Amino acid sequence: MTAVIAASHLSKWYGNVLGLNDVSLEIEEGITGLLGPNGAGKSTFMKLITGQMKPAIGSVTIRGRKAWNDPDVYQGIGFCPEQDVFYEDVTGWELVTGLLRFYGYSRTEIRERAARALDVVDLTADKDRLIRGYSRGMRQRVKFAQTIAHDPDILILDEPLSGLDPLGKRKLIKLIKDFKKQGRTVLVSSHVLPEIEALTSQIVLIHQGKILAQGDVPFIRELIEAHPHQISVRSSDPRALAARFVGERSIQKMTFGADGRTLVVETHKRDAFFSRLTGVVLEAGIAVEEISSPDDNLQAVFEYLVGK
Amino acid sequence: MATVREKGYTHWEGRLGERRFPWWPITRTGILLAFRKKRFKFVFAVAFGPAIVALVGLYISERLEDFKAFIQDSNLIDIGPKYFATFFMNDWLLFMILLVLAYGAGGLIADDLKHNSLQLYFSRPLGKKDYFAGKMSVVAFFVLIFTALPGLLLIVFKLVFAGSFAFFLQYPWLPLSVLGYSAMLTVFFGFYILLMSALSKNSRYVFVLTFGTYIFSTVLFGILNGIFKTPYMALFSIPANLQQARAFIFGLKLPHAFPAGWSLAVLAGICGLAAVVLNRKIRSVEVIK
Repeated sequence: MTAVIAASHLSKWYGNVLGLNDVSLEIEEGITGLLGPNGAGKSTFMKLITGQMKPAIGSVTIRGRKAWNDPDVYQGIGFCPEQDVFYEDVTGWELVTGLLRFYGYSRTEIRERAARALDVVDLTADKDRLIRGYSRGMRQRVKFAQTIAHDPDILILDEPLSGLDPLGKRKLIKLIKDFKKQGRTVLVSSHVLPEIEALTSQIVLIHQGKILAQGDVPFIRELIEAHPHQISVRSSDPRALAARFVGERSIQKMTFGADGRTLVVETHKRDAFFSRLTGVVLEAGIAVEEISSPDDNLQAVFEYLVGK
Repeated sequence: MATVREKGYTHWEGRLGERRFPWWPITRTGILLAFRKKRFKFVFAVAFGPAIVALVGLYISERLEDFKAFIQDSNLIDIGPKYFATFFMNDWLLFMILLVLAYGAGGLIADDLKHNSLQLYFSRPLGKKDYFAGKMSVVAFFVLIFTALPGLLLIVFKLVFAGSFAFFLQYPWLPLSVLGYSAMLTVFFGFYILLMSALSKNSRYVFVLTFGTYIFSTVLFGILNGIFKTPYMALFSIPANLQQARAFIFGLKLPHAFPAGWSLAVLAGICGLAAVVLNRKIRSVEVIK
């Protein structure tokens, strides 16, 4: 599949501060999550894609066309910035219609598109209120409305779920997933792991301006084989269970959970451990209540990669 | 098998209009937001005062017989280039233009910086030049509406009140002078206001800065003139340079004893400095705060 967004050896400095360092990346159709802590370079990457910044080194292309200084490319991009970016003394309707004027639509078309976009984000009833009076969630939604109003093929969403209530988040997640079904490309950034997990399994991990890994969660897990897997076993007698594993060479470390019922094992050979666990449980007659692998959580993957 | 995808959000069959004036949405928003400010409409209306006074003077000049009980010296309302130059350069008009601009247009860039709106603009089909053209057009709208529009209307009214084209035939270049001086004021105030607006995120500070710089330049001229006793010190004063340029454009005696080219060069220098600062300030949005 051809990459929709392609970055090649992309670097960006803010004076002496490194924003992005030699990033080469291809983003295809569907939802891609850009994950990293604050200051990792997510917003910089997004601003480079949307042509708001000129790369210091390297290039970004959108469907094969350079993103920098080509306003025509931006016709097909919808950008939802992280911060509030609007004048307080305009209404939601005025904001969306005002921004649609940049695309050369007729007046009727502008009105129809604005009405449709505001309806999608449930702001029709509040469209004539000044943004000054909007709640945080409403501001987030009007920002999303202006992003989709011109029906872009590519959505660049910088922390779109921040400030939304759970219901609003769920609705927006569904909406973003609908965009994926329509064959569009969505790049969504967040530093909140469950948000990204709820949206996609296709992730790009970014930290200190560098791409640490790209792929789905299991793929990234394979990349970090140097780190042991964590397996948590909650049972009736975790100490008896631990005693049975003390001699196992594949076990790196064992700790007990604060609840006194959980044994957390770190091992390089997960499959071997599970095979052995079945036998031990049967032999010792230990009642196992739950087996989980915290490693499958994106947070763990991220922490391994950034070396925490 | 290839995935069948449906674009379900909207099926738009229309054609995108040609974006001949991509700066227009910026201008439109700037003008609308100015009129949304408290008391701006009042300030805007009062700024037409000099034009109304000039119009009344023009009417009286054609009806001197009716007003001779009130007019002691008819030379006071001798309608000619000097009358127009006086209209353009009276302190009240310049003060009102500055007030309208500082109040209504001071936030043009300051508010964009404050609200981070540049991201929204520049992720759309809009270039940096379009952005500046849009902002500059807001200033042009307010300057021209108080200069070129009344200036040209005064000429038309003079012809109507006189009932002949004699005035126009006597001063055929006057409309060009009106347009030329209005254009110069537009360009200068355009750069000046945008420069001030880009120096702060707070439009109140911009207001103070706009007036402060303007008045301080005149005070500085007074102080330096007092010390060095040379007319060239007028080059430090913005109003003095505008007066010098006005006299040059209307073909009148220069108020300061040095060539008008110096004043034009100073005004052009301020515009050039503003262009450099604006270019840097808008780019510096990229810098991590």
